Amino acid sequence: MRSVSPPVPAELLARVNRDVERSLLRARNGLRYVRGTHRPALGTSPKDVVWRRDKAQLWRYRGGPVRFGQPVVLVTSLVSRSYILDLLPGSSSVGFLRDRGFDVFMVDWGIPDELDAENSFETYVDEYLPQAIDAVVCETGATEITMVGYCLGAVLAMLFASGHDAPIRNLVLLATPMDFREMGPMAAALVQGRLDPDELLDDTGNVPADVLYSGFYMMAPTSVVAQNATLLDNLWNDEFVKGFQAVSQWTRDQVPFPGAAFRQVVEHLIRRNVLMEGGWRLGGREIELTNTSATVLNVMASADKVVPRPASEPVGEKVGRPDRRQEMVVQGGHATFGTGRSAFKHTLPRLAEWMASHSDTRAKRRGRDADQIPRVR
Amino acid sequence: MSQGPSVWLKLVLRAERVVGSRVESAVHSDVYFDRLTEVKRAKARVTGTVEGLSRRVLHLANLPAGTDIRRVREQLARMERRIVELSKELEDQRAERETVP
Repeated sequence: MRSVSPPVPAELLARVNRDVERSLLRARNGLRYVRGTHRPALGTSPKDVVWRRDKAQLWRYRGGPVRFGQPVVLVTSLVSRSYILDLLPGSSSVGFLRDRGFDVFMVDWGIPDELDAENSFETYVDEYLPQAIDAVVCETGATEITMVGYCLGAVLAMLFASGHDAPIRNLVLLATPMDFREMGPMAAALVQGRLDPDELLDDTGNVPADVLYSGFYMMAPTSVVAQNATLLDNLWNDEFVKGFQAVSQWTRDQVPFPGAAFRQVVEHLIRRNVLMEGGWRLGGREIELTNTSATVLNVMASADKVVPRPASEPVGEKVGRPDRRQEMVVQGGHATFGTGRSAFKHTLPRLAEWMASHSDTRAKRRGRDADQIPRVR
Repeated sequence: MSQGPSVWLKLVLRAERVVGSRVESAVHSDVYFDRLTEVKRAKARVTGTVEGLSRRVLHLANLPAGTDIRRVREQLARMERRIVELSKELEDQRAERETVP
């Protein structure tokens, strides 16, 4: 039988000291957390509004020297807030890309209200995105861009790239819902014979944010217990608490879904699964998803539960020209493109490397740098 | 010195997964979504009936009901949307005129 030696007094004292110190920090951070004070400010990277229409805005992020000739335009989802890609200073995807020499733009859709209830996919694909991309070209003088779509934003990006003669060199699609039969519980309540889209709309004509939140919540209803227990264990750690507050605020911060676009999602994407036919009739014409000359990178997260891999995999067969399709699988869940341990260690470095190798080193351009005086259209 | 999660946390996480996986398989099942649809529709029917009754009572006293206000709000929103569309058309035409030499 092996004997276990008791800890030496110095070791024991250090452990007691550490536990006392952590208990005090836990008490302090716990009070702050309950009071709701010391919430971190989110989406604070310095930026300028360079274009706006209705509630949609195009932001250009300020930063160091630009090394690449193709500006990166991020297109975010319609159902969640765009600041997931610019969460906190030091853990911001746009900050990461900016630091690596990309000229980063982001299209933000704003928070829809009754005025946006008639916004359809045509509004985003044929009205907002063409104008926003014109603004990027005008602002930078670039002849080509790299467009990065995230989640439903990736659907908008691929429809825009295929439906317009757009100057897109690289089309990066992150966690793209393509095959809606594989979307699992996210789409199950809305299949034929279950809830009709109009049953979920409120007085404003939009799907209320809390309905969307409850949809995400029901993906893993008990996970809140694990999250709060992990918080309690790490309550002494200021950085952990800050990150936890940031992510939980983003998770709860859903925005209403414009009614007309929601009807299209249910009728066309979920019930008819039109994207799997390789196109979609939008704005009076058929958009063929192969009709883009951009190099398409389909990026999937290995543990994504919101858009599972089987739902994204067909992007590799349906979007872009067959000789210009590439695929990347990254570690983590749906939010790994904006937050989490692997985001800044694996996901973003790999994405940045791919984008750099598919971009030109920047030559002198006729446009202005992000640090020069902004212009709002 | 890096340390893993505490023993109590490991236990909580394990228990959460045991319970959570069962809850998830229940709330991701067809039965759950069918019931959800039925409950949502039943709730809408009850709300509609109550609203209809209260509207009739309020109208007897010549008072507007919530559904009247909702209809007015919807009309206002439609008008506002139309105004926004017209403004955008005007704006686009102005921009077009400015770009033509």
